[in-house]
Amino acid sequence: MVDLLSTPILVTIILGVVGLAIPVIDAARREKGKDRNKIYSAIAFAALIVAIGIVIYRVFSGEVLPAVAFSSEVLVDDLFGSFFAIALLIVSVMVTASSWNYYKGKTNPAAYYSLILLSTIGMVIIAYSTDFVMLFVAWELMSLPTYALAGFAKRDPISNEAAIKYFMFGALSSALIVFAMGLVYGLTGTTNIGDSIRAMTTLDASLTPVALLAVGLFIAGFGFKMGLVPFHMWLPDAYEGAPTTIGALLAAGTKKAGFAAALRVIVLGMFALNLDWTLTLAIVAIFTMTLGNLGALMQRSVTRILAYSSIAQAGYIMIGIALAPYSDQALSGSLFHIINHAVMKSAAFIAAAGVATAIAGYSLEKYRGLGKRMPITAIALSISLLALAGVPPLNGFWSKLVLFGAGINSGPLVEWGPWLAIAGVLNSALSLGYYAWIMRKMYMEDAPDMSKVKEPRAIVAVLVFAMVFMVGFGIWHAPLLDFASKAVPDLSSAISPVSLGP
Amino acid sequence: MAELIDFIIISGILVAVGIYGLVVKRNAIRMLISIEIIANAANLSLVAFSRNLPNAQGQVFALFSIAIAAAEVAVGLGLIIVAYRLYKEIDVAEFRSMRG
Repeated sequence: MVDLLSTPILVTIILGVVGLAIPVIDAARREKGKDRNKIYSAIAFAALIVAIGIVIYRVFSGEVLPAVAFSSEVLVDDLFGSFFAIALLIVSVMVTASSWNYYKGKTNPAAYYSLILLSTIGMVIIAYSTDFVMLFVAWELMSLPTYALAGFAKRDPISNEAAIKYFMFGALSSALIVFAMGLVYGLTGTTNIGDSIRAMTTLDASLTPVALLAVGLFIAGFGFKMGLVPFHMWLPDAYEGAPTTIGALLAAGTKKAGFAAALRVIVLGMFALNLDWTLTLAIVAIFTMTLGNLGALMQRSVTRILAYSSIAQAGYIMIGIALAPYSDQALSGSLFHIINHAVMKSAAFIAAAGVATAIAGYSLEKYRGLGKRMPITAIALSISLLALAGVPPLNGFWSKLVLFGAGINSGPLVEWGPWLAIAGVLNSALSLGYYAWIMRKMYMEDAPDMSKVKEPRAIVAVLVFAMVFMVGFGIWHAPLLDFASKAVPDLSSAISPVSLGP
Repeated sequence: MAELIDFIIISGILVAVGIYGLVVKRNAIRMLISIEIIANAANLSLVAFSRNLPNAQGQVFALFSIAIAAAEVAVGLGLIIVAYRLYKEIDVAEFRSMRG
């Protein structure tokens, strides 16, 4: 039996029904008016708002219904899941609303919005799932629509190239994940994540290499989506080539869902195995942020800069994951940075989509004089870039402060902890180099044509929301940080015998 | 009767074959087949483990995985067909409209 009223299932039903209904409505409507894009955008937007309203209401009311979908062990309704659900639904809301303008006059809007909604279901369910089978199905439900969305501009070779690269690496990563899950299942005899991690603690010593292989495959599989450094080569091409709003969905949405899966599986698996993996993860974190920032310095296209910067941001989030055993605030810092990055990055991509809609161009040269030509877009892009760089008093500053503070505080326990913080600070300074470059182009240089351009209205609305979020939670960051630190214990309580902390 | 370890060795060999194909080949369809080989190696190990442990969860997982792999191949082939229309070939080394 299925308990229809628990949060994850209710969200799935709402988004699923609407997502499947949109193409049916499209097929049923006789005359194809020019308003198709607006109607479907509004329907998808409404469904997402209802879904996010339900999640937030349930968090505030503290009402937790057991999530039963034929078995009570595949989904769990906890704060960790709700935290990610809110972050990912915000991204989808922003993407859908900005598509009102960006996707105007393009082909097949019904499938476009339907795929965004289906992919959102996958992301949300990843955060809530406690079973490998559910996690894998949700992972694929997230990935498959985004392959199609990345290549949605059928006549555009760049979009198609992006989609093929993204598909090849995505399909490889899911094959590796199934293999890793198969190994864990073979070692422990169960597909429940909590049970299998508990069984890992009592694993026979001769089988440890197999468990290590499984953890390595998990890191590789999830790492492809998260954009960690040895697995990042497809990422700039895919984010640049995909339609820009979909770039926002990929950079802010699927990447964060990858972190949700990794936190559910890898981190706890490492605690269970008593592995000293933290140094490896710290090295991965340092390489990820440094290579991401260095790569971004050399780009000429704004979306490509944003793609490289999202690699760097994954490195900052990894700091918290690497330090998880040594500091209480590390994981909450990671979660805090995940929700902040979701909003900052999608705002930046959506601003780029707005510029593309209005003046048709992604290259840095097109951004000259944007401060006068599109004032709201330019100020929103500047604020999101400053927040990404971690300039106070914006929200990115606080989450980086928590993360780097965790590095400093873990100094007595692990000698490389402070170095991780130093690397993070230096990288933030480095990243300001290219963020400031974009702002310089927008405000200090003049374009040949300085005429004011009409700013797309829905995109402006989304950007204003994002500005309020970034500045608001920058000035008053406590509620978001409290929520993040409340979500972390839920992660470990799923497998009670294994305790987080030193 | 074949032992568990035989299945696992075969599954390991299949993964190696798949990774080799993915690294060496540049034809999009060959790469797709290589990915499928890896996915099916994973399915084989799941079913083998499931027979060895007396429980059926692994087989259920394998069924899900096969169904999803079919959907994945459909999406992949669709993308490759679009690429063929645009480029008149499916050599991934030729898809290079973006340079950073």
